[in-house]
Amino acid sequence: MSSLQDKYKTLIDTAKESGVTNLQVKEQDNVLYIDGDAPSASVKDKLWSVYDQADPDYKSGDLVLNVNATAASGTRATVTTDSTNLNIRKGPGTDQAIIGKAAHGSTVTILSAPNAQWSLIKTDKGEEGYVYSQYLTAQ
Amino acid sequence: MKKTNALLFIFALFFAALSFTSCKSKGKKNADSNVTTTTADTSVSATPTPPPPVIANDDALKTGVRDALKDYPSVKGEVSDSVINLSGDIKRADWRKLMPTLNSLHPKRVNSTNLTIK
Repeated sequence: MSSLQDKYKTLIDTAKESGVTNLQVKEQDNVLYIDGDAPSASVKDKLWSVYDQADPDYKSGDLVLNVNATAASGTRATVTTDSTNLNIRKGPGTDQAIIGKAAHGSTVTILSAPNAQWSLIKTDKGEEGYVYSQYLTAQ
Repeated sequence: MKKTNALLFIFALFFAALSFTSCKSKGKKNADSNVTTTTADTSVSATPTPPPPVIANDDALKTGVRDALKDYPSVKGEVSDSVINLSGDIKRADWRKLMPTLNSLHPKRVNSTNLTIK
């Protein structure tokens, strides 16, 4: 086992024990890459918490942790912006036109997720478009 | 005549013994070649080299970083050789939200040496 895998052993073990699927641990140029699919957002949060304990504030820059919790189509999610409303865009990108807003604290339905950053959603008012997934919390 | 029969019998015994020895060593030879084959098979099934990690190119990363930092005006992000270099300052709670997003972009690494976490 390499020194990096040793440093992040607890994280790798937690990922295995928490049911992360497609788990891949690779190392290249003194950086460890951990990829996989988390069964829920809470598992993803747990892994990031373990990462923070192993490397406070993620300062070393020796790990790329890419374990995402992809919400299934039809999942209901709460808009968890700080206080503002969430932009709904025509496409997945901030260069795409804003076509609506999802209110802070409101509930939307996730239709699909083209990548880990963006989700296609529908509001209860019927507005449909792409929002930044970071501001959604699955219920 | 008796002598001839005895001689024939001795010759027959001699050839029989010779042929038995020859077959025996032939079997040994075959066994040896099986061992060689098995060894060759073992070397073929050795552990394959794992594929390298997926690293995004600079253009894809620049778009992703621009989207990710849109709501964090105090953070500046630059991309070079697939490394995300961050500077400026950010609240610790926001950093914990931002870092997973940046990691999901498939960078080579995230360099936050020049980023102050408050």
